[in-house]
Amino acid sequence: MPLHPTFPLPDESISAFAGAMCSVVVLDNGGGLIKAGHGGDLDPTAVLPNCLLRPLSSKKFLHPDPLHSSSAAALDLTSAAVRRPIDRGYLINADLQRDIWAHLFANHLRVSTSSSSLLLTEPPFTLPSIQRATDELVFEDFNFKSLYVADSAALVHLYEASTSPQGLVSKAQCSLVVDCGFSFTHAVPVFQNFTLNYGVKRIDLGGKALTNYLKELVSYRSISVMDESFLMDDVKEKLCFVSLDVDRDLQLARKPGWDNLFRCTYVLPDGVSHTKGFVKDPEAARRYLKSTDESHLIGGTIIDVEKPESAEDRKRIDLTKNEFDLTNERFLVPEMIFQPADLGMNQAGLAECIVRAINSCHPHLHPVLYESIILTGGSTLFPQFAERLERELRPLVPDYYQVKITTQQDPILGVWRGGSLLASSPDFEAMCVTKAEYEEMGSARCRRRFLR
Amino acid sequence: MEDESLNPLRRMSSRTRKVAPKMVAALTSSDNRTQAVLARLEALENDNAGTEVGDLIDDDDASLDDEDDDGYMHKKQSKSTKRKTRQAKALENARKAPRTFIELLHEANLESLPPHIPSYSRAAVGPPSSTSRRHFCTVCGFTATYTCVRCGMRFCCRRCQNIHNDTRCLKFVA
Repeated sequence: MPLHPTFPLPDESISAFAGAMCSVVVLDNGGGLIKAGHGGDLDPTAVLPNCLLRPLSSKKFLHPDPLHSSSAAALDLTSAAVRRPIDRGYLINADLQRDIWAHLFANHLRVSTSSSSLLLTEPPFTLPSIQRATDELVFEDFNFKSLYVADSAALVHLYEASTSPQGLVSKAQCSLVVDCGFSFTHAVPVFQNFTLNYGVKRIDLGGKALTNYLKELVSYRSISVMDESFLMDDVKEKLCFVSLDVDRDLQLARKPGWDNLFRCTYVLPDGVSHTKGFVKDPEAARRYLKSTDESHLIGGTIIDVEKPESAEDRKRIDLTKNEFDLTNERFLVPEMIFQPADLGMNQAGLAECIVRAINSCHPHLHPVLYESIILTGGSTLFPQFAERLERELRPLVPDYYQVKITTQQDPILGVWRGGSLLASSPDFEAMCVTKAEYEEMGSARCRRRFLR
Repeated sequence: MEDESLNPLRRMSSRTRKVAPKMVAALTSSDNRTQAVLARLEALENDNAGTEVGDLIDDDDASLDDEDDDGYMHKKQSKSTKRKTRQAKALENARKAPRTFIELLHEANLESLPPHIPSYSRAAVGPPSSTSRRHFCTVCGFTATYTCVRCGMRFCCRRCQNIHNDTRCLKFVA
């Protein structure tokens, strides 16, 4: 068994180690986004969609550009076909992944794989056949010097513990990581940098399902967008939010015209003047936040916000038919994470998922776990996610326990940053499996070293 | 009918017999409904996959052209063997085609593990503690009080019912 590092490390030592060591590639291989960079860095070098794309303008599948780069805005992704190497969170298409990684290592990271180590994240309970395929990919196709397979929850825990050395997470060395990502949602208890795998609970709902659900709703109700994954991703990220009181908000969403705080128009790209869609009135899109503190809204007193000249607005809607309105869809979509039963799924919601994960741990851990819930993953970025979770969780938890939910600074990069921290720790090399060991012992034996 | 012959003294209402075949139909249709629900959940994990098939065909065509060229370049004989390999290649492609996660999961046979070992299937959170379920209107999204008698989808008012009947009743079957 490898020594596990004694964290938290002070910040200075990280940068010192980063310079001294040979390069470690840290790769958080998510179903939606790859987060890749060099160990010891603060932020990943490249964050890009983990897929190949074929826009309408092209006959071949292309590599996507990293997010927030200038070239990413240029590519028109309307009705682009997508191929993803990851299905339901697990790597199933190694050939496709090899293509994507090769492009990533050569063009974005610019590393030679044969002289570096790899820190790779893997979801809990990866099937042995998938692990074998991953090992083959890493050692036989890319010739990495050594490999460490990390649990993303443990990395998040590590990062959180290091950012606040005086906090409960680092003192008790124990936390409950809620990872609500692209493919699925996990509640994972972490104890002393190890995940307690008997406590892991999963909901089969993630950002991808939510986007598809929104697609379905919009296609039924206004315009067919069944092929526009990237567009609807954008709509979801910009307009969806978590409702704190669904019944009340549903009633509010019935109101006509400007009284309706949730109505919001999204303009579709026209392919000429703009290739990206955008929210027509971002100010109006944020009005729902005002409704949350005012509980007397139903009574009829609406805060006076000056109305824009609605006549002109409506005229524009009629002229160009390329926009659609969202009202209750905005909060009914993220609602599914809290109540998957509404979709017809036979699974409990997120709050119950957390309670079950904690209840399967030792009772001594319960108070600490409830007090150190860490939210990570892109789907936790919906506004009011943490507040709603706390409201649902509180009645389910015995009242002598405190509930404290921590949100991460950047939930998408949280796992990667933890990985970067781990890669820059002094005994990282000792924890790895080297290529020679892999060739001698094979995949299954090597995996035991990661306690998986 | 068999029951009656076995137990002639038992009184049977004529109505139950009339209803029975309808109930059978209803049962099968509810099975269809659950299948439709499952198919819909399954669809939530889909990508823009419809176009991929076309792409594969494109690729095949391209490779076939190459092979034909090769065939002309070499002897005529080799062409027949190429034809065979083309078939073999298609078979091989089918074998090499990435399997879905569900297939891999079946293959891994997790049920054979002893019950104390945590695994993918045991990590699923499981059914909710309360069986109550909110229903939303499939047309407008508000709380739905009515169920379509033909397909079981929900709607909230007369207006939505008309839209439902016109556009999407029983559409999930197709």
